[in-house]
Amino acid sequence: MKILAIDTATPASSVAVGEGDRLLAMNLSVNRMGHLSFLIPAIDMCFSQVGWTPRDIDAVAVDVGPGPYTGLRIGVATAQAVAASLGVPIIPVGSLTALAWRAATGRRRIWPVVDMRRNQVATQAFMPVPGGVVSDGPAQVVSVSEFQALLSSDGIETLVVGDVAATGDEFLRGAQRAKRGRPRYPTADIILEIANLRAESGEYSSVDEIRPRYMREPDAAIRWSEFREEGIWPGSEST
Amino acid sequence: MSDPLILGIETSCDETGVAVLSGNRVLSSVLATQVEEHARFGGILPEIAARAHVEAIRPLVHQALNQAAIHHDDLDAVAVTRGPGLVGALAVGYAYGKTMAWTLGKPLIGVDHMEGHLFAPLLDHSEYEPPAVVVLVSGGHSMIVHMRAWGDYRVMGQTLDDAAGEAFDKLARFMGLGYPGGPAIDLYATGGDPDAIAFPRPMRDRPYDFSFSGLKTSVVTFLEKAKTNNNVPPLEDVCASIQEAIVDSIVNKTFNAVETTGVEIVAGGGGVIAVCGRNFRKKPIDGALTCCFRVHRCAPTMVP
Ligand SMILES: [Zn+2]
Repeated sequence: MKILAIDTATPASSVAVGEGDRLLAMNLSVNRMGHLSFLIPAIDMCFSQVGWTPRDIDAVAVDVGPGPYTGLRIGVATAQAVAASLGVPIIPVGSLTALAWRAATGRRRIWPVVDMRRNQVATQAFMPVPGGVVSDGPAQVVSVSEFQALLSSDGIETLVVGDVAATGDEFLRGAQRAKRGRPRYPTADIILEIANLRAESGEYSSVDEIRPRYMREPDAAIRWSEFREEGIWPGSEST
Repeated sequence: MSDPLILGIETSCDETGVAVLSGNRVLSSVLATQVEEHARFGGILPEIAARAHVEAIRPLVHQALNQAAIHHDDLDAVAVTRGPGLVGALAVGYAYGKTMAWTLGKPLIGVDHMEGHLFAPLLDHSEYEPPAVVVLVSGGHSMIVHMRAWGDYRVMGQTLDDAAGEAFDKLARFMGLGYPGGPAIDLYATGGDPDAIAFPRPMRDRPYDFSFSGLKTSVVTFLEKAKTNNNVPPLEDVCASIQEAIVDSIVNKTFNAVETTGVEIVAGGGGVIAVCGRNFRKKPIDGALTCCFRVHRCAPTMVP
């Protein structure tokens, strides 16, 4: 099974291609404004590195968030365009699951964190199990202080991964049972790993079932002036 | 390649548009509008627009190809608006179009939003050609362009503050008429007296530029004063007079440009032109002028 994986859910953009459980090529760039200009050249490079053409792939995997919206939408639109043009299925993977998956070691409860800006983070509790992680509560968007309260009231040893800087470093240094871990960002190689396991058990979605997981209502600010912005295109975006 | 088959994608504002063209012939053109989603806010919310585009784009591309009876492998190119516009909204269409082009191994043509408007009249006016003066007035932009040849443009004037559509929206919101403002004001203006109130014609000293924020202030001041004095004129007259001031200003500046350049063709594009078009026809200058008006909002357009 040949899979193209895409992740633009955080400031990191990455793409990976793999077959079965083997990662074959990967490109990564950390640039909050660069998702759109990064993606296609990076995908193209992966394909030429492994000698594939687009028609060789069997599925597309994509990180559907939560994360800053513009990046999410670029990833989802890109995955949909590839899948629809080739007639292959999509495998959606969550950013929090991806972070917890990569961090899973030992027995600590894992709290992955994605910076949602405006002093909020997305998080969800996971427990490590043989072969991966299972969620141990709902995904939620909370303020930094709410997150700190969640963590302080957690009765067992915890591991905080993801964009921990967004939650306030001081706080974590003071926390007794919490430890800080990696990775900082979800990346396409993790998405690929999870997607491959899901593909083996037949967990596909059709191209129209895929949606970004926003987890927050849209900003209700009217910004007509934004329409006339010029000189920022192509290759840059904001959330 | 005589008549290339091109799929065009446009997501610069609050409508998702996809079309398939063979040369200048439109084989299909489908549109998903979000006007209702923005109406309750009295303006366009960029985040709501971007969310709606990502929902609409895939099904619309499918529908446009189906209606045109074209398989995507038969396309010669994919064209997409690259701006200006709402950044988050543009990103959806651009990512989709760029990826589609890569996947299918076809060239991608990034089209400037304004240049798209300049070409749009060609779709239903075969006599349209440069040299021409094109006036683009819509929710997001107001400009007068001298098109000397295909691909050779000079922007003669543009808005220095609010676009005309923006001025309509803000005034309609102030008067409690709902959104979008242009059509709302137009509805009430029908039957009103356009000469009832002499609102100022903005920027008389700059022949080709627009400015509508002064007009907005004077309407607000006028209405507040009328309310205090208990002599508020009929809403129909206020709307007709506002419309007259905006349209009169656009028409006069366009005619200034026509006189300076000596062109014989004037074309218009953008939603507000729906209103201006009537006035251009009402007020023809010096006989030889042909008007090509394509009254569209930001429908998909592309360079053939
Ligand atoms: Zn437009």
